[in-house]
Amino acid sequence: MPQGSAEFGAFCPTLRPFPGAARYQMKGKLKFGLLGLVLIHLVVLGARVFAPYDPAEQHRDSPFAPPMRLHWVDARGHTHLRPFVYALVYHPESSAAVPYKEDRNRRLPVRFFVEKAIAGVEAQGAKHLRLFGVDPPGEIFLLGTDDFGRDQLSRLLYGGQVSLFAGLFAAALSLGLGVLLGSASGFYGSWLDAIIMRGAEIFMALPWIYLLFAVRAFLPLHVGARESFFLLVGVIGLTGWARPSRLVRGVVLSAKHREYVLAARSFGASNFYLLRRHILSETYGVVLTQAALLIPQYILAEVTFSFLGLGVSEPAPSWGNMLAALQKLSVLESYWWMFAAGLVLVPVFLFYHLVADALQQGA
Amino acid sequence: MNEQPLRQSEGQEPILRTVDLRKGYTRGRGWRGKRQHVQSLQGIDLQVRAGQSLALIGASGSGKSTLARCLAGLERPDSGELWIAGRNCGYSSHSREFTQVHLIFQDCGLSTNPRFTASEIVSEPLLISHWGTRAERTDRAINLMKTVGLPADAAGRRAGEFSGGQRRRLAVARALALEPRVLILDEALAGLDLSTQGQMANLLLEIQQARALTYLWISHDLSLVLRLASEIAVMDEGRIVESASVREWFAGPRSPQGQDLLQASRAWRSGAER
Repeated sequence: MPQGSAEFGAFCPTLRPFPGAARYQMKGKLKFGLLGLVLIHLVVLGARVFAPYDPAEQHRDSPFAPPMRLHWVDARGHTHLRPFVYALVYHPESSAAVPYKEDRNRRLPVRFFVEKAIAGVEAQGAKHLRLFGVDPPGEIFLLGTDDFGRDQLSRLLYGGQVSLFAGLFAAALSLGLGVLLGSASGFYGSWLDAIIMRGAEIFMALPWIYLLFAVRAFLPLHVGARESFFLLVGVIGLTGWARPSRLVRGVVLSAKHREYVLAARSFGASNFYLLRRHILSETYGVVLTQAALLIPQYILAEVTFSFLGLGVSEPAPSWGNMLAALQKLSVLESYWWMFAAGLVLVPVFLFYHLVADALQQGA
Repeated sequence: MNEQPLRQSEGQEPILRTVDLRKGYTRGRGWRGKRQHVQSLQGIDLQVRAGQSLALIGASGSGKSTLARCLAGLERPDSGELWIAGRNCGYSSHSREFTQVHLIFQDCGLSTNPRFTASEIVSEPLLISHWGTRAERTDRAINLMKTVGLPADAAGRRAGEFSGGQRRRLAVARALALEPRVLILDEALAGLDLSTQGQMANLLLEIQQARALTYLWISHDLSLVLRLASEIAVMDEGRIVESASVREWFAGPRSPQGQDLLQASRAWRSGAER
């Protein structure tokens, strides 16, 4: 018999070692993905502490400075417990693409938990705590700077607040709308169903990126960072309800004919009760999976819009308008650290897709 | 002679009474598609007295289940009258009278939400009719579970963890929650092994005696009907073609449909004995 089962295993390479394996694997994936996402979001939310500079703070004397390297061993071979960076010296007359050199004589030890003044006139010299920094007048740019000499790392962290949460809020909006319209459509049926589903088809048929352009074109050119953020969230969220609503409708359609729903109805349950207690609980799986798929999609939408200059506008950072510098070929060629905002999207998307995959296996 | 109402008792209002109840379904919609009209109930006149045990038999598609759903208020009849305990509720979509009639479904495994715990299932009718506090409802649910022979410590388990027989007990407990006067048992004993079937049958008879319930059995199993019901009504193509007491009927059905059913059951039984 063992021989027989080995043969069977060879014919079915996807055979799992034990029945609960899929579920076990699913849980591990889900935990890993969620942990990664929570960490990223916490770091981004704590930008005030984690970022060494304010996102709009300019260092005009060091545009496009390359990322500084952390050192432990100095030029004379001494090892230091505290990491340090060398100050960068700008050689504008140099013909090199990146006209910076490390000044081996100026060692800037990294200090942790430093008080630093908030930039800007309104701040009136107020200070707050930051995770790390160097003694002034030294500067530390771990991810380099952009054309105005603004610290890329700080902009990346503050920009994440815009880009990540734009995706989150937009997905919440379109899922909320999708659940509302989808369940109404599936539950009540007849003409309401017909109207909502034709509406959904129209929304799905629309080339929505151009629709967003059109909507943006209606609005004044200069909108504040906060307004443009909510505008973007609103527009992306409101156009994306069609797909989740169709999925929710399908689940509701099959759920409303279950016998336990019928039984509850025979006790005199109202439609609202049936929806709340029996039917909506069945849509959780679909809604969560959709959320994990829609959020990265919407983050990308925000990035695309800000990249094209239609989203959050300077000087407020977002991952999209950070990437906008790459529209110049010279920047694209010479300053690889300007890709940081694009690269950071990769782990975010991977974590979201991991979560989506795990949810789909569990559903 | 055929559509004669069941033994009319003078003075006492029957608990269930229907007059010329009709219900049809339309299939095939769309503006080019042909509409097909299926008339499930073609004028049902039925009277059930309180405390009676009536069996509704008939071939598949004869309209038994549709009648059951109309009586329980799950379907609205197209025309005709439906009187429950002396009140007409044929046309109101869901009047309170329907809580006096409860339908126990064919497959109780499907009629309990697998996500709910046993006490949530049993107390659901109480929750829907806003009866008492949460603790009172749970108490009552546990009492009801005891009356149907489920252990009290099963209250926190989810419906998916119960066996088929236990789930039927849950469904019965739930049906009793609002103290109905009529239970419609649509194939309530089908699909169980013989010993469980016997236990369930005894339980249902005990409950009927203790609570003075009226039972409407819908069944294919004539041997069970013989033991459980006192009256019988034969349905065919949306009509009641014969009604009699069980003893009379087994002695000799008058309608051809009834004769067919009895003959088929006897032929099957003698085949099994051979």
